[in-house]
Parts: sequence; structure tokens; C-alpha cells
Amino acid sequence: MKILYFAKIKEVIGKSEDSITINEQTTVKDIVEKLKVINESYKLAFQDLKNIKCSVNCNYIDSFQTKVTNNDEIAFFPPVTGG
Amino acid sequence: MKIIFQTEKLNVEEVLKNFASKNNSSGSVISFLGKVRPSNKKKKIKTMDIEIYEKMALYQTKLALKRLLKEVKIQDYLIMHRYGNLKPGENIIFLVVASEHRKEGFIFIQEILLYFKKKITFWKRENYLDSSKWLDRQS
Repeated sequence: MKILYFAKIKEVIGKSEDSITINEQTTVKDIVEKLKVINESYKLAFQDLKNIKCSVNCNYIDSFQTKVTNNDEIAFFPPVTGG
Repeated sequence: MKIIFQTEKLNVEEVLKNFASKNNSSGSVISFLGKVRPSNKKKKIKTMDIEIYEKMALYQTKLALKRLLKEVKIQDYLIMHRYGNLKPGENIIFLVVASEHRKEGFIFIQEILLYFKKKITFWKRENYLDSSKWLDRQS
């Protein structure tokens, strides 16, 4: 699956996307936990989930317990500041 | 009825002129222009970076419009938002709406701006002389 990062999260991690393979019945929270062990930058980027928004295939998700599949495009980003 | 996200400068005078002329039979044409401010809390802004998740921004804008147009009767609209590196005084967002009466046009502009503040995937970073800062929602 494709994972995208934007704004401050992208800056902290130091890259704009990752590609990973997941098992069935994986939740967004499981993915976050998997990413946090990659290195200190990921750990820092995901330390405060309250200030992180997530989308799956361009739709905002209400809960990090949302299940995802390998065909999904998932994105992590701070609250938007456009307009 | 158009949505445009671009890195090029927004040439609003010409766009407004063409839009108003195209919608000659509308009783009201209302526009809104948002610009980069020269300072924020007394800190001088050198430039502003605007980042976009374009696929989602387009998808969410269309979703917002679908909902809004069920409630507000308008005849035409144009939504333009710039991204990339901008200087103070440059245009960030330009909205223009044509409707039979002004009330619907004002509601449309206000609602679209709220969507951009809450849902549409753009992020701003202000670059000062000696530092830079990603804006949070309250900024």
C-alpha cells in the first residue's frame, strides 16, 4: 500500500511517501505502530496522534481503528490551513 | 463551474472580467480574494510555502460543492487556489460566484472558505528572516 506524508509530518520523517505490504485485517493504528519502529524520526512524527489527520483513498477517517487493504492509498497530515 | 489549483500567479482581474462577461444574465457576481500578509504577530514574512495533496483537495472540493449546491442555488462558480512559494501581497485564493440574487452568492463564498479552512488539503508555512513555521488552524 502507498502511504503519503504532508507538511510537518513529511518534514520530520524526511520523505513524502512509503510503500508497504500489510496483512488482512490491518488497522490504521497497526500501520502507525509499524512505522514508529522504523526510526526516531517516524517515532517523533507520530508521537501525538491527536494532531494528526488521516485519509484513506482521499476520504477522512473518523477512527484510527479503520481497517485498510494493500490497494488503499493512505495519507497522514496535520490539520489543514488552506484558504 | 471550475476548480483550479496552480503554482502560477492568479491573474484575477482578467479572470473576473471574463467570468462576469460569461455570466451576463446573472443578477449578482461576487468575488473573494485572499492574499499573503506581510507579517504575522509582528514577525515579517519573507515568503510563504503552500503545500497541497492535490488528488484529495480536488476530491474534497467536489464533495463539498455537491453538498453545498443542494442547498444554495447559484448559476456559476470558479474556485482558484495557488500553491508553491508565494511572496507577501500575492494572491492565495480567488473565489467568484454568479447567482440570481446576492444572498446565495455570499453564502456560497462563506461556505467554500470554511471548507478550505477545515477540509481541503492545503498547508501553509511562513518563512521569516531567521526561521520558518507551519501554521496551525488558529493562525
